[in-house]
Amino acid sequence: MPAWSVRLIRGALVYLVAGAMIGAMLLSAAARGVAVPVGPARALHAELLLFGWLVQFTMGVAYWMMPKHATGPERGPVAPIVAAWLLLNAGVWLAGLGQALLWPDPVVIAGRAAEAGAVLAFAVNLVPRVKAFGAGRSPSP
Amino acid sequence: MPLLTRLCLRAGLAWLVIALAAGLWLAVSPMGAPPGLRPTWIHLITVGWITNLIFGVAHWMFPRASREQPRGQAFWGWVAFGGLNVGLLLRALAESFPGPSAPAMLEAAAVFQLGAGVAFAIHIWPRLTVR
Repeated sequence: MPAWSVRLIRGALVYLVAGAMIGAMLLSAAARGVAVPVGPARALHAELLLFGWLVQFTMGVAYWMMPKHATGPERGPVAPIVAAWLLLNAGVWLAGLGQALLWPDPVVIAGRAAEAGAVLAFAVNLVPRVKAFGAGRSPSP
Repeated sequence: MPLLTRLCLRAGLAWLVIALAAGLWLAVSPMGAPPGLRPTWIHLITVGWITNLIFGVAHWMFPRASREQPRGQAFWGWVAFGGLNVGLLLRALAESFPGPSAPAMLEAAAVFQLGAGVAFAIHIWPRLTVR
């Protein structure tokens, strides 16, 4: 498994545990009738699990498993993956904490923009790899 | 395909069918459906369907942990599978059919689902190796 997949999937697992922890606290608070700021906590819970866990995990697995190139770097240029990782994590923190701590709207908007940028950067690497396995390789004699 | 993966995929498919039925209930009778059904419906899809699928396929396809134990310590995989599905079942029942035991069921669901996330991380982490 390439190093960037390991990095992305390990990050996703950390978000899974963090997001599940917030979800468990929300569920427990609802069961006990304890008043908690449900809206902000739920927004952070959703941000961590949808973008931090699901999107990041998917990126890590796709970078590992999609068809490799026959020539040049086998998994394509690394720079878009580095950019996707940085932007996605910055986006999760900005949008998640921005909603949870009721920070000004521009922080959340910046977070959402970073998440969108992460997906675009990831697509730059991945789209050329959406092809049949073995495409571009010369047939063996 | 290992047994744990088959069970995760079958459970995921079952939850998907239940989620579609819950979605239909919400669409046909939004006022008649229990108030807790909407968050339950979202979790039936994201936890029941998607997460079961991820747990099962990761257990099956991720790099081998070692020659002796190719899929690592299966115990944690089983804890993750059990916790995820028992927790979701308790939550779905408590929120869809609220009764006197609902708070205790929700508390238990919180513990089971958090435990599932932690167990899955413990199970998969050693298999994330650079090769």
